[in-house]
Amino acid sequence: MVALEILIYGAVLSGIYALLAVGFALIFGVARVINLTHGAFYMLGAYITYALSVLLNVPLILSIIGGMAIVFLLAICLDRFIIERIRTTMINVLITTLALSLFADQVILQIFGPDNRNIPAVISDRVTLLGVDIAGQRLLSLIISVAVIATLWLIITRTRMGNALLATAQDPEAAQLMGINTGRMFMITMGIAAMMAALAGGIVGSFLTVAPEMGMLPIIKAFSIVILGGLGSIGGSIIAALLIGYLETIVAYLISFNATELVPLVVIFITLIFRPAGIFGKRRGF
Amino acid sequence: MNIVTRIWGTLISRPPFYVMAIFLLFMLLVPFLTDDLYLIGVLVLANVYAIFASSWDILSGYSGKENFGHTLFIGAGAYGAAYLNLYLGVPPMLNLLLCGLIGAVFGVLIGIPCLPLVGPYLALATMAAASIAERLTMILSKYTGGEEGLYGLDPITDGPVGDYYLSLILVIITTIILMAIGYSKQGLILRSIKEDETASEAAGINTTRYKLVAFAISAFFAGMGGAFYAHYQMYTGPSSLSIIMAVTIIIVCMIGGMGTIVGPVLAAYMLTVSNEFLRSIGDLRLLVYTGLLVVIVLFLPRGVFTVILERLPRFGQKSRGV
Amino acid sequence: MTKDGLEIRAVTKTFEGLTALSDVTFSLEDGKIMGIIGPNGAGKTTLFNVISGFLRADQGQMVYHGKDISSLKPHQVVDLGMARTFQIVRPFKSMSVFENTIVAALSPRSRRSRPKGVKSDETAMNVLGRVALDHKRDEPVSNLPMGDLRRLEIARALATYPQFILLDEPFSGLSLKEMDALAGLIRNLLDEKCTILIIEHKLKILMSLAPRILVLDYGKVLADGTPAEIADNESVIRAYLGRRGHAGVDTTN
Repeated sequence: MVALEILIYGAVLSGIYALLAVGFALIFGVARVINLTHGAFYMLGAYITYALSVLLNVPLILSIIGGMAIVFLLAICLDRFIIERIRTTMINVLITTLALSLFADQVILQIFGPDNRNIPAVISDRVTLLGVDIAGQRLLSLIISVAVIATLWLIITRTRMGNALLATAQDPEAAQLMGINTGRMFMITMGIAAMMAALAGGIVGSFLTVAPEMGMLPIIKAFSIVILGGLGSIGGSIIAALLIGYLETIVAYLISFNATELVPLVVIFITLIFRPAGIFGKRRGF
Repeated sequence: MNIVTRIWGTLISRPPFYVMAIFLLFMLLVPFLTDDLYLIGVLVLANVYAIFASSWDILSGYSGKENFGHTLFIGAGAYGAAYLNLYLGVPPMLNLLLCGLIGAVFGVLIGIPCLPLVGPYLALATMAAASIAERLTMILSKYTGGEEGLYGLDPITDGPVGDYYLSLILVIITTIILMAIGYSKQGLILRSIKEDETASEAAGINTTRYKLVAFAISAFFAGMGGAFYAHYQMYTGPSSLSIIMAVTIIIVCMIGGMGTIVGPVLAAYMLTVSNEFLRSIGDLRLLVYTGLLVVIVLFLPRGVFTVILERLPRFGQKSRGV
Repeated sequence: MTKDGLEIRAVTKTFEGLTALSDVTFSLEDGKIMGIIGPNGAGKTTLFNVISGFLRADQGQMVYHGKDISSLKPHQVVDLGMARTFQIVRPFKSMSVFENTIVAALSPRSRRSRPKGVKSDETAMNVLGRVALDHKRDEPVSNLPMGDLRRLEIARALATYPQFILLDEPFSGLSLKEMDALAGLIRNLLDEKCTILIIEHKLKILMSLAPRILVLDYGKVLADGTPAEIADNESVIRAYLGRRGHAGVDTTN
C-alpha cells in the first residue's frame, strides 16, 4: 500500500519538478543562461491565477491561462531588457536573476501579505487510482505535466521552429549565419519556459502552499535537477526530476517529513563534488 | 622613521588606501557628532555588513570563485559563539577569535571539495551547503532552537557606543589585513586565477593552494563577523544562514565593485544607511538593492566605487610595486 | 637512456572514443630543439597538454630527468623546469604587461632559481627585456597587438626559469621582423642549454631552427628525422598532399 502511494505521489511530484526543470534546462541549452527567476515565474503563475480566479472571479482555466500569458510577457521583457545585455557574464546573470526573484517575492509579499493562499482545484473530487485515494487535481497536474513535456518534445523535434531552436543550441554563430534570428530564439525559449513554470504554479495551488517564498526551494531544486541531468539535456532533466521527486516522496514516507528538503540537497552536494557533469551528462557546460 | 614614511608613501599613492583611511577615521568620530542611538545602531549593522562583504570579496571578488553560501561561514561563527558562550562560558572577546577559527575550519572543509568546481556548479554547491546547514538548524531544533534560535548570549560591550567602537575596530582590522592581502602579490595571484586559471597553472602557480587559503581567510573573517553579530544581538537564529543574506552580501559587493575590498566596504555603509532611511515605507531593503544591482550590472558592471577610485589622483612618488 | 632529457614512451590519449594520440614515442636530449609538425587535428597540441600536465594520458609513460611526470599537475611540471606557451594566447586580461609577467615570477620555481637578492619585480623586468616588451610594462594587455601577446606568453614562461620550453605555434600572427627577433631569442635560449619542443606550421622558419622534426598524423608519429629526411619521406608527402599540401593550424586546444 505504502509502495503504491509512493509510486503515485512520487509521480505527481516528479511531474511538477520536471515541468519546472525542463524549462530551466531548455533556457540553458538554447541560450546558455542560468535563469534563476524561473522559481519566481512559478510563484507569479500561482499568484496571478489566485488573483484572477479568487479575487476577480474569472473562471479558473482562464485564470491559469491569464497567469501564463502575463508571465510570458514578463519573461520576454526580462530577456530583452536585462538578460540579453549581460548574458556573457555568468556571475552577473546568476546574481541578477536570483536578486530579481527575491525582488518578486518582496513585491508579492507587499501586495498579498505573508499568509498562505489557496487556489481552487479544477477537479475538486478525489479519485481512486490503483487503490490509492488521491485528489483529482494532483492526478490532473501529473497528466498536464506529461502532456506539456510531450508537446514540447514534439515541437522541438518535429517543427521548423524546433529545428531552429536546436540549431541555436548547438552553435549560435552558425545558426545566425544560416539566417536564424538567435536573439529571437533566446526570447522565445525564455517565454515558453516561463509559461511552463507559470502553468506549474497555477495547477499546484490547490494542494501545495502558495506563499511569496514558494519559488525559492523549487528553483534550487530545478537548478539541481538540471545539473544532475547534465546541464542543458532535456532527457537527463526528466530522469533527474524523477529521481528527486521519488527521493523526496520516499524520504517523506519512510523517514520524516522534516528531512524531505534536506536529503535532495545532500544528494546534490555530493553529486556535484563527485560527478560535476551530472549523472548523465558527458560534457560540462562550462 | 623610515617605516612611517614608507607607509605614508604607500597610503597617499594609492586611492583605495587613502580613501579607506579617511573614511574609517571619519567613522571613528561619529559618536562625537551624534547622540542618536538609533543611528549608531544602524552603523553597527553597517559595520557588520562591511565585514561580511569584504570577507566575501577576498575569495570571490579576487579569485573569481563566487561563493553563494557565504552565510555558512557566518552561521558557523554565530552558532559557534552561541554554543561556546552558553555552554562553556567562553567570554565574547575570545569568541571573536575562536569563531573566526571555526569559520576557517568550515572554509577549508567546504573549500576542499568545492575547489575543482567552476561557475554555476560552484554557485549551486555553495548554495546547497548553506541550505543544508539552514535545514539542519530546523531538523535539529532540540539543539539549535529551530526557528526560534538561541537566546541569552552575553553582550559583548556595555552599550551601543561600545558596540559601535568594537565593530568599527573589527572593520579596521579586517580591512587592513584584507587590503594588505588583496593589494599584495598574493592578491595579484588570486586575480590571475580569476582571469585564467589555466594560464596561472602554466605560470607555475599552485592555484589549488591559493584558492584554499583564500577560502580559509574569507571564512575566518565571516565567522568572526558572525560571532560579533550573535553577541551584539545576544541571539542567533537560522536567518544568519539564509540565502537571502548570502545574496544580499553578493549584491553589496557587486554594487561596490568586486575585487577591491574598498568598494564592498563603502557599499555596505551606503546601502545599510540608505535602507534605514527608507524603512518608513516598509522593509524595502531587497527592492532597493535589486533595483540598484540591475542598474549597476547594466551600466557600471565594475561597480560604483571601482570607477570612482580609478579617477582619483595618486599623490607622491608613483609606486613601482604591484 | 640516461637520466637526461625527456622521454615519451607509448603515450596514448583518447577523447570519447576518438584517438588524439596513439602510441607516441620519442625522446629529446637536453639542450636540443625539436620541431613538431602535422595536419590539423593531428594531436600536436594534445601532446603538449599531456606533457605539461593539463591532460592525463590514458597509457604510456613520460620521464623527464629520470622523474616520471605522467601524473603531475601543471604547476608541478613547471616546478621541474618545463614551461609552455599556448597556441591561443592566454594573457590575464585585466592586468598590465608587468603584472602578467610577475605572476610567473612569483612561482616557487622562479623564487628558488633566481640569484639570491633578486626580487620578483627584477625577474619580471629582466624577462620583459629579453622579449623586448620592457617599454610597455605598464600597458594593460588589452591594448596589445598579437605580436606582443605572443612575446608576453614567452616572457611568462621564461620568468619561471625553465630548462625546457614547449612553444605552441609561437610564430603565428607575427610580422617578419618580429619573427626574426623571436628566432634570435630561441637561438639564445639554445645557447643557454635550454631544451625546446616547438609546434609550428611555418615550415621555413622551423626548418631553419630545428635540425630534427617529428611529424604527427592522426595522433601517430609518422616520421622523426632531419628536415631533409622528412621532406623525402613518402608517407609524409602523402599525408600532406592528401590535405591540400600544407600543414594547417591546429585548432584543437
